[in-house]
Amino acid sequence: MQPTRARTAVYYLILWLVAILFFLPVFWILMASFKTPNDILAVPPKFIFQPTLSNIIDMLSRPNTVPYFINSLYLSITSVSLAIVVSFLAAYALSRYKFRATNFLMFLILSTRMVPAAAFVVPIFQMFNAFQWRNQFGVLMLYTMFSIPFSLWILKGFIDGVSTRYDETGFVNGASRLHVMFRVVLPQVRPGLIAAFIFNLIFVWNEFLLNFILGGPGTQMIPYALAVGLVSAGGNIDWAFVASLSTGYVLLPTVMIFLFQKYLLVGMTFGTVRGEV
Amino acid sequence: MSDKSLFQTPLSRRQLLKGMAAVGVAAVASNALAACAPAGAPAPAGAPGPAGTSPLAGTVGDEMRGKTLELSLAVIAGWPPSQLPVEMFPKFAEMAKEKYGYTVTVRKTEAPFAALFQKVAPTLASRSQEFNLIVSDSQWLGALAEPGWIVKADDVYALNPELDIEPFSSLVVETYQVYPDGSGQRWGFPQMPDTQGLFVRKDLLEDPAEQAAFEARYGRKLPTTYEELEPLTVQEWEPIFEFFTRPEQDFYGTAAQYSKEYDFFSCAYHPYVYATGGDIWDKTTGNVVGVLNTDANAAQLEYFVSLQKYQPPGSPDFGIGEMIDLFTQGKVFSAFNWLAVGLFMIPPELEGKVLAVPHPKFIFPDGERKVIGAMGGQPWVINAFNDDDHMRVCIDFLKWWYQDDTQEEFVQKGGLPWSKKGVNAPGFEDLKPYTRAFKYMLEEGRSRDFWHLPEYAELLAIQQEAYSAYASGQVTDPKRVLDYIAGRQQALLFEKGRTQTPPPDELRNLTLM
Amino acid sequence: MSTINIAQQGEQAIARSRRSPLRAFEESRFFPLALLLPILFFFVALNVIPTIWMIGMSFYSYSLMSPAPPSFIAIDNYVKIYNDADLWSAFSRTFVFVVLAVGIETVLGVLLGFLFWGSSNMPGRRLALTLLFVPMVVTPVASGLFWRLIYEPTFGVANYFVQLLTGSKIDFLTNVNWAFGAVLFVDIWMWTPFMILMTLAALGSVPKAELEAAEVDRLSIWQRLWHVIWPHGKFILMLGVLLRTIDAYKTTDLVFLMTNGGPGNVTELIGLKLYRYAFASLNIGFSSALAVILLLIAISFTSIYLWVLNLRRYREGA
Repeated sequence: MQPTRARTAVYYLILWLVAILFFLPVFWILMASFKTPNDILAVPPKFIFQPTLSNIIDMLSRPNTVPYFINSLYLSITSVSLAIVVSFLAAYALSRYKFRATNFLMFLILSTRMVPAAAFVVPIFQMFNAFQWRNQFGVLMLYTMFSIPFSLWILKGFIDGVSTRYDETGFVNGASRLHVMFRVVLPQVRPGLIAAFIFNLIFVWNEFLLNFILGGPGTQMIPYALAVGLVSAGGNIDWAFVASLSTGYVLLPTVMIFLFQKYLLVGMTFGTVRGEV
Repeated sequence: MSDKSLFQTPLSRRQLLKGMAAVGVAAVASNALAACAPAGAPAPAGAPGPAGTSPLAGTVGDEMRGKTLELSLAVIAGWPPSQLPVEMFPKFAEMAKEKYGYTVTVRKTEAPFAALFQKVAPTLASRSQEFNLIVSDSQWLGALAEPGWIVKADDVYALNPELDIEPFSSLVVETYQVYPDGSGQRWGFPQMPDTQGLFVRKDLLEDPAEQAAFEARYGRKLPTTYEELEPLTVQEWEPIFEFFTRPEQDFYGTAAQYSKEYDFFSCAYHPYVYATGGDIWDKTTGNVVGVLNTDANAAQLEYFVSLQKYQPPGSPDFGIGEMIDLFTQGKVFSAFNWLAVGLFMIPPELEGKVLAVPHPKFIFPDGERKVIGAMGGQPWVINAFNDDDHMRVCIDFLKWWYQDDTQEEFVQKGGLPWSKKGVNAPGFEDLKPYTRAFKYMLEEGRSRDFWHLPEYAELLAIQQEAYSAYASGQVTDPKRVLDYIAGRQQALLFEKGRTQTPPPDELRNLTLM
Repeated sequence: MSTINIAQQGEQAIARSRRSPLRAFEESRFFPLALLLPILFFFVALNVIPTIWMIGMSFYSYSLMSPAPPSFIAIDNYVKIYNDADLWSAFSRTFVFVVLAVGIETVLGVLLGFLFWGSSNMPGRRLALTLLFVPMVVTPVASGLFWRLIYEPTFGVANYFVQLLTGSKIDFLTNVNWAFGAVLFVDIWMWTPFMILMTLAALGSVPKAELEAAEVDRLSIWQRLWHVIWPHGKFILMLGVLLRTIDAYKTTDLVFLMTNGGPGNVTELIGLKLYRYAFASLNIGFSSALAVILLLIAISFTSIYLWVLNLRRYREGA
């Protein structure tokens, strides 16, 4: 039975409606960021309104917004990049040399990422205090560790998928081990690198609790600003600020999943499930 | 701060090595913990400065000339009185440049009440001077003083008698300065005193149509002036709240704070407890059981929560901010709020239409008509781990802060005074719509603060959760709520050695379910 | 890169580095260890040591707020946890939250996943999927906050529609009967897309040939589901369920800002509870003991996850 054009059209319409339904709450906040504070709290809610840029201008002109955005970008990009370098080296070693403890190590590293952040923030906090690591360096290290488990799992999965025959061909031709790693294997696991980069970036970007506790000047990110800056001078929640800052902040993850949609599955399952949707 | 990248600086490597070494030491045995823990030793401050004077004297000569530094203030977000020092800071910087010859800038870190403590306390525990001068909530005094994290105010007063200004009433000293209660040892410097009041819409009270309607319905006149409103008890206010409750117009009689957030419910409810002649705990014995969980207090709890019927939906979540939103958006006739946010309760549209009166009264067991409100407000506290230069700047700042002209400007901008001179200044009562009520509530015996113990956060969390459970209907028996709180708090205080009496067994394992 | 090219480069490399010490090192048995060194550094410095520290602390009575030095109290903290009725109720609440959230998300996700199965030629598919998947990448702090605005009883848009439909308002976040459901709803909104994603992946793992054969054999829908799709798809679906379970169990940020665990304690999940012990009361000893317990739970979840993963590798030969 061949579906008719009309049926297909209805089917697609339903799919679009489902997608829009899930997006609606975000859209509502997106709209709120262009409303005046009074329009945000208007009863009944205003669906049609005169858009204004004043919230966004106010948000950007607050002394902390821009530095926090820069912190968010700097910390997430640097730590994830570092994590990927470290993980690639380790993933190659774990994939090509058969250590007896490989599986156990992979398991241990992964399980650290499965604990509620509040559980390990206590010892980390004390340790950072003891060594005076509560600075950009410390937080960077922490986020690198935070990104390592998923990067390692993604990259190990991808390198396992690259046949060792490539390595052998390289060796037969006299290439060095490093040459094989970086010139032969690395280009073939590019999708893994991208997936690991994008998704760890999103996770670090969205992280709040560790940042709230450990963050100081130079390391506080936007979720922190949202949590502490949400009250206006008068003690009421400053919805215009919350809305415009949230909108600005979710832009990056949204664009990322649009551009890198085919890595979504790999990224969200840290490489344990391959494929595209 | 350090924007040095990971690889380039020897500093990072040194920190790394230091870190590694410390890790090694720490990992040897858990016994090493004792060595690493902050020992609560006396503060490094107080040592003679370069000029031979203690930094606690502030800048005395030329020792600070030519220096440039940044003063880091931790203040409460969404709390206007806390923002004013930052706003007014440039004047201090100007004076410091002129008088002492140093350049000072300010860095502000802010967070809402509970979050600020969670932010500041850990840094102090690590002996950091991340925050030089802190606006602390009054109840944090014990938590900050007992481990030796803050400078003792008495030490500063000894060197700078001019800072030791006569307060308006003993409430100021007891609330913002002294720890432990009754010891006379002072740790905090009053920053902003605060008491509770009731903000009402004067324009509605004065509306002839409303007056006629009220008289027709209740057979008595609608009170309109401060003098008429001030003596009213909560029970006498009730008909007025009821009268203005008009859900069909989305308008309600009043709004009070029942939120689980921080101390919101507690501060709103405590006056009802004090009105029974009781208290929330016994300061001298440290007992909660038998003091808080009485039938009288349970009846008051039930009554306080029953006032929700005159309030807009969502009252279990009402806090300071909701009071402002609802009142300024014209959704309520009245709202119970801190007088310190008075300026924010009166937007330009409501100019001239608002009156603040003291917290409504109660008939006490002795038959007296009076009120004991909750004290709010905050002291300044000085980080004990400040280096000498920052210590001097802190003291210089406080000296400037307590100057008459600075205080005057502060009050003009919505702050409130605490000194005898400030509160008694001519014209103060009529300065703003809320200053008269403030002065009334700051009189001896009209307000009361609660625990200043280091266990404050835990004690508070226990009761806020339980009260919120009652306010939202999760638990329906008010006595059970108080029993639960009393049992838990008593257990905590007993464990910390604040009381000699363990909680009775039947209260040990109550839950909120 | 062609083989010839590699060969040429390789020869050059040989010429350059035949006797270089680097080359010798690369071939030594220390080389793989050197590759592992950086990750081991991070792992040991930021995971192993804090964990040992945490386990050590859990046997001490130690509060940052007390001037007293830590004192060894053996397993007293654990005994206290065991006897704390509030913690038990937080655990059971978290359990209910996880079961309901993951259960509903799975059912919805599978249904919608099937719905999206045939969408590969849909116009604007990429954009539609982006909109669909946005909830799971939104900063939890932000979503917690803006749902608070949506749920707001006086000004919120949700109540506007509730009032249109029913004539009265619902205090979503302050009514004890609604608050837990309201938080659950937000979690379902955030994570159903993830289960859709996993369902699509599961369906994608069914070999095309088998599906076509089923078509030819005119198998009923149920037969196809049971005999063709389920044997292939079940592993990925199970992995999805497990990942969600682990994640739901960690939920902290969302309730932290949306309800602060209230009203009462109806939305007080274990992650938030732990945070309070650690940072509101700075009670390091007790919170470490609780953290150790949460760690053990996390490790057991992870083992189950890996067990299913290996099962799949084994069965599918993947």
